[in-house]
Amino acid sequence: MGRMGRMKTLLWVVALGVSLSAQEGQFDQAAVDRGKELLVGQCGFCHGSNARGGSSGPDLTRSELVQSDEGGRELGAFLRNGRPDKGMPAFELTAPQAKDLAEFLHSSIYTNANRRLYKVLDILVGDAKAGEAYFNGAGKCSGCHSASGDLARVGRKYEPVALQQKFLAPRTGRGEGPPKPAYMDKNAIRVTVTLANRQVVRGALVRLTDFDVTIYDAETSRVRSFVRNGDVPKVDLSDPLQAHVDLWSKWTDSDIHNMTAYLVSLK
Amino acid sequence: MMLRHNRAGLKACTTFVLLLSSTLVAQQAPILDPSVLMKVPTDAWPTYHGDYTGRRYSTLTQITSDNVKNLQLAWVYRLNTSQALANIGGEGPDTPPAAAFGFGPPTIKATPLMVNGVLYLSSPDHVWAVDARTGREIWHYFWKTRGGIHIGNRGVGLYGNWVFFLTPDNYFVSLDANTGKERWHHEIANVKREYFSTSAPIIIGKQVIIGVGGDSLDVPGYLESRDPESGLVIWRWYSTPRKGEKGAETWPNAEAMLNGGGMPWLPGTYDPELNLYYIGTGNPQPVLSGKSREGDNLWTCSIVALHPDTGKLEWFYQVSPHDTHDWDAAQTPVIFDGVIDGKPRKLLAQANRNGHFFVLDRTNGQHVLTSLHTETLNWAKGLNANGQPIPNPAKEAAIPGVLVSPDTNGATNWPPPSFNPDTGLFYVSTVQSYSMFYLTDTDDRPQGWAAAERGLGSTARTLKAIDYKTGKVRWSRPLAMTSTGPAGGPMGLLSTAGKLLFGNDGGGNFVAYDPATGKPLWHAGLGTNTSNGPETYLLDGRQYVVVGAGDTLYAFTLPR
Repeated sequence: MGRMGRMKTLLWVVALGVSLSAQEGQFDQAAVDRGKELLVGQCGFCHGSNARGGSSGPDLTRSELVQSDEGGRELGAFLRNGRPDKGMPAFELTAPQAKDLAEFLHSSIYTNANRRLYKVLDILVGDAKAGEAYFNGAGKCSGCHSASGDLARVGRKYEPVALQQKFLAPRTGRGEGPPKPAYMDKNAIRVTVTLANRQVVRGALVRLTDFDVTIYDAETSRVRSFVRNGDVPKVDLSDPLQAHVDLWSKWTDSDIHNMTAYLVSLK
Repeated sequence: MMLRHNRAGLKACTTFVLLLSSTLVAQQAPILDPSVLMKVPTDAWPTYHGDYTGRRYSTLTQITSDNVKNLQLAWVYRLNTSQALANIGGEGPDTPPAAAFGFGPPTIKATPLMVNGVLYLSSPDHVWAVDARTGREIWHYFWKTRGGIHIGNRGVGLYGNWVFFLTPDNYFVSLDANTGKERWHHEIANVKREYFSTSAPIIIGKQVIIGVGGDSLDVPGYLESRDPESGLVIWRWYSTPRKGEKGAETWPNAEAMLNGGGMPWLPGTYDPELNLYYIGTGNPQPVLSGKSREGDNLWTCSIVALHPDTGKLEWFYQVSPHDTHDWDAAQTPVIFDGVIDGKPRKLLAQANRNGHFFVLDRTNGQHVLTSLHTETLNWAKGLNANGQPIPNPAKEAAIPGVLVSPDTNGATNWPPPSFNPDTGLFYVSTVQSYSMFYLTDTDDRPQGWAAAERGLGSTARTLKAIDYKTGKVRWSRPLAMTSTGPAGGPMGLLSTAGKLLFGNDGGGNFVAYDPATGKPLWHAGLGTNTSNGPETYLLDGRQYVVVGAGDTLYAFTLPR
């Protein structure tokens, strides 16, 4: 996962108020590993080697008994008797073994349940040549960007997922340094306000509603607002990233995969 | 729509008489006369939508398009979350578990109920009674949580002297409406299975209808009816079939449907004449991968009509067969009487998260029309003969990513829309958004969400008025813009016979629009977008409009 990806995950996790390290720390990895070994050796034949069900046994990660278990206590007690009427034999695990098995199952359930932690897999399936043709042709990317200029060696700087997100959604993610208002970003939507006296004021858009328009002038670091009454003052917007936004309704998935392959190839 | 007293109405009245006679011994008349629920009240807002129809249309005409310019602030109430003077209940520890955090300060997503001059509202773990004349708090109840996702709470239910609400850790709690003291609580779902409850209880006769939520793990969704006195289950309806039942043919096996989701996480609507309760069900599980659940996956992503006395299914209409994008059908199924092709019809309409607008015959679930309320959709191959979108399998999450519009939040979402019988228009706010969907769980038995989403952004956020007879958008108004693009989005709406439509503008203003044209007539710069459904009622002969924005409730009225 690239830096942007990590940053994004981190932001998500912080936004959820859950410290990633604290949550990951709630599982003892050595115990998870021991538990997995136990599962594969003793339960896997029926319940599958990842506990999601097998030839004859149900999915353990979806089991209410497992999901409700605390530290292997309920699970250990259940295993001592099994469920003979359903062909589930008894297993005599020691308390530490039951705890390890539960640790593995609970960590699997936690991973399934927390989508912010899901890892995007290998997305490199596209044709770089076709991506290059799109770059110079239908995508009109070469109007602003150049493989030997601003995008030189871009394939070294970013991992594929981060790179894909950069060209699809250049506005998402945050830049370097401390957080700042989005209107201070170089890609903020630009606004031109033409007052009744024909004076023209330009800046980055802070907010436009039916009732007022607020702008930020980077040169003076000043935020200014104007009350609107219908079309007075006149407000015109322009988005420096409009070409990227316009592509959203045009991309085919193949175009996206090919473009990713092309940019990754710029080493 | 005319709401006449019928069998259910008589039953409710009988219940009321019985309740009255039993409580008279102990105290005065109950706070809420349940028969109020059978009318379209103007001096109360006694249930989530104000009445059973979900139209969120008021016949009040004191505030009109002519005088709305004079509307002024009556009072402000900011949510008080201090435990100092609260009635405290709950099964959780003194220090809340980490799962209870992450959604910032409490936000008012509840539509407060107003009865006898008192507003009752809730947010996760909190219930307040607030004086509707002064905006001052009367009591506060705080629930010590065991966890669960604290994303929101839609409000309380009222029956007799009792308040009912659901908690994020899945307890059905009843309080004394006078004092805020707890009567009892019952667990309705297991928080360790990642269930969390957000819905507002709906009272029908002597029943409290509640539903559960949750989509992190693959668990079954259900709706329950509970007894308002004992809190015990009267019936439970699962939103996926069990082995051998009708609908099971739309799943590959019993395991898939037993873990198939379909959470009915928002309140429904009710037709007393037909004695049917209408509710939209949630998305199937696993959420973004359909590999282990081939088929249409009934009754997920469906509008269903249930018999409130038994919980038996009368009819269903599935708006998203085999959904793989988290577009549940929980949005309000609004009921009204209209005219289609010159014939009077009992109708039901829903602006769905999947980008389509549906009109059905609510007596039998027959399809009337389907239209697009959002233009950028790229996931459907068209409509089938029954008006249902046909999903394009190429737009299901894949390892290298597929680009889908809208994103998982949908083209609209839970905030209540409004239907205005005077204009014949259905009002809803929509989003044109895009996301990449990456399959991350390649197992033959994927679990949970099974895929990751990365949002691109949105190209428009809009308030729309849809003609129910044609499904066409009559007028459309873009919301605010910021430095990163369109702002705002799905919002709660209210329309009135005073020729007004209340909503927000996506830019922190509470706005009264002309419902015929969408022109703004009045606004209040709250600084935060309204976060619940606005409501209106008469109190002491004055019409109030009350709305929540973030953690603050605002009341507006005309000057004396």
